[in-house]
Amino acid sequence: MTHSLHRRGSRESLKGDYVFLSTPAVGVNHEGCRPKMQRILEIVYQAGPTNIGSYDTGTVLTGVTYEDIRAELDDTGRIRCVFSDLKKVRAVLRRLKSEELGISIVISGLVDEVLQAAAEEGLCPHTANLSLGIHGATEKLPGETILRFMTMCGHGMVSAGIVEQLMDEVKEGKRKPKAAAELMARPCVCGIFNQERAADLLSEIAGL
Amino acid sequence: MHINREACIGCETCLAWCPVQAIHMRGDRADIDRDLCTECGNCAREGVVQCPVDCFSVDKLQWPRTVRRFFSDPMATHEETGIPGRGTEESKTNDVTGRIGRGEVGLALEMGRPHVAARGRDIDIMTRALASRGVRFEQDNPLTYLMVDRKRGALDPQLMDVRVISAIIEFVIPRKRLAEVLRLILQKADEIDTVFSLDLAVRFNEDGCLPRLAQLQEFDLQPYPNAKINLGLGRPLAKE
Repeated sequence: MTHSLHRRGSRESLKGDYVFLSTPAVGVNHEGCRPKMQRILEIVYQAGPTNIGSYDTGTVLTGVTYEDIRAELDDTGRIRCVFSDLKKVRAVLRRLKSEELGISIVISGLVDEVLQAAAEEGLCPHTANLSLGIHGATEKLPGETILRFMTMCGHGMVSAGIVEQLMDEVKEGKRKPKAAAELMARPCVCGIFNQERAADLLSEIAGL
Repeated sequence: MHINREACIGCETCLAWCPVQAIHMRGDRADIDRDLCTECGNCAREGVVQCPVDCFSVDKLQWPRTVRRFFSDPMATHEETGIPGRGTEESKTNDVTGRIGRGEVGLALEMGRPHVAARGRDIDIMTRALASRGVRFEQDNPLTYLMVDRKRGALDPQLMDVRVISAIIEFVIPRKRLAEVLRLILQKADEIDTVFSLDLAVRFNEDGCLPRLAQLQEFDLQPYPNAKINLGLGRPLAKE
């Protein structure tokens, strides 16, 4: 119940960060759903996601192509990507609603924004998954600034070490925010790390 | 994970990339601390670390070390469930599965996340505590398969030292039990040597609003402003 859920940051920085997940229900509607999944992928890709990848291939930021992701999709495949523009998300939802493909769709983002977009597209949200924070030995956590980057990879593959290193390189002018953010995003194989948001955060931290 | 130390040129490129701080310098070359390593595959994955001499590779693992990989490498699929990732479809397909109904809440504790990673013994503390209150763990969650006694929430004793990036304890309870279970979870949080990210899944009301969860206030639990919203586009829709 996690994956894209625990992204941290201010409301302002979470604007422009919308994770898209499409998942067949194994044992209910997954059999023979590959063409539907491929169609959803096509719709999503045409809309222009910020980042996209898959468990099977890795992400476009490591050289994987749309065709690679499409070829690996099977009946239990999942589509994961992130958008920075809510208008694009809405265009995808409009299309998906009209084509009635019947595969579950989740958008992760600011609740009020997502609900408003759903209402305007005539959708009736079914279930909400809410984050209730981090507990336990929280003294072991890195600082909040680092967590804002790390939590954009739901599998915890983006290390505190690489975030810190790239933050320093940007501050020292050794690397541009965009280049640093794209490097930082590489370990996130699902492609839900939002490198545009990361570049904005890096610019802000470096005072650029 | 395996490192070919003879090939390593000591450039230190890899050190910062490890999400669990298992790579360090030993002498003038990098090495992997096998106790800390979670077998996540990051260091050997194409296009990620980009070791100039490709000295990382994936080991052929044996039980119980295989568990590290299944709960750490997002590209690994659990043999038992056939589901990739560390959890289940949970709320992502709830419109079709109806796993979490009205009057219920789904709870999940992602042990070890973020950053800290988790040992089996910490997970075991929490699962035993929850089981003692009659919690039934999600059948299809890969963690449930590692329990030798699901009613007691007891993990296989061989897994106590196993370290994973994260494992998700996942279950559904009646909403009226939420306060009691949250109280227990937050008490046990003081006994473990790791962190966990806590989340709650709930159905929207028929009027399209989220139910009011007054119990959260008792514990100062304020949901983040961002959430995962299942938009109800799956078919066939689960029956009430």
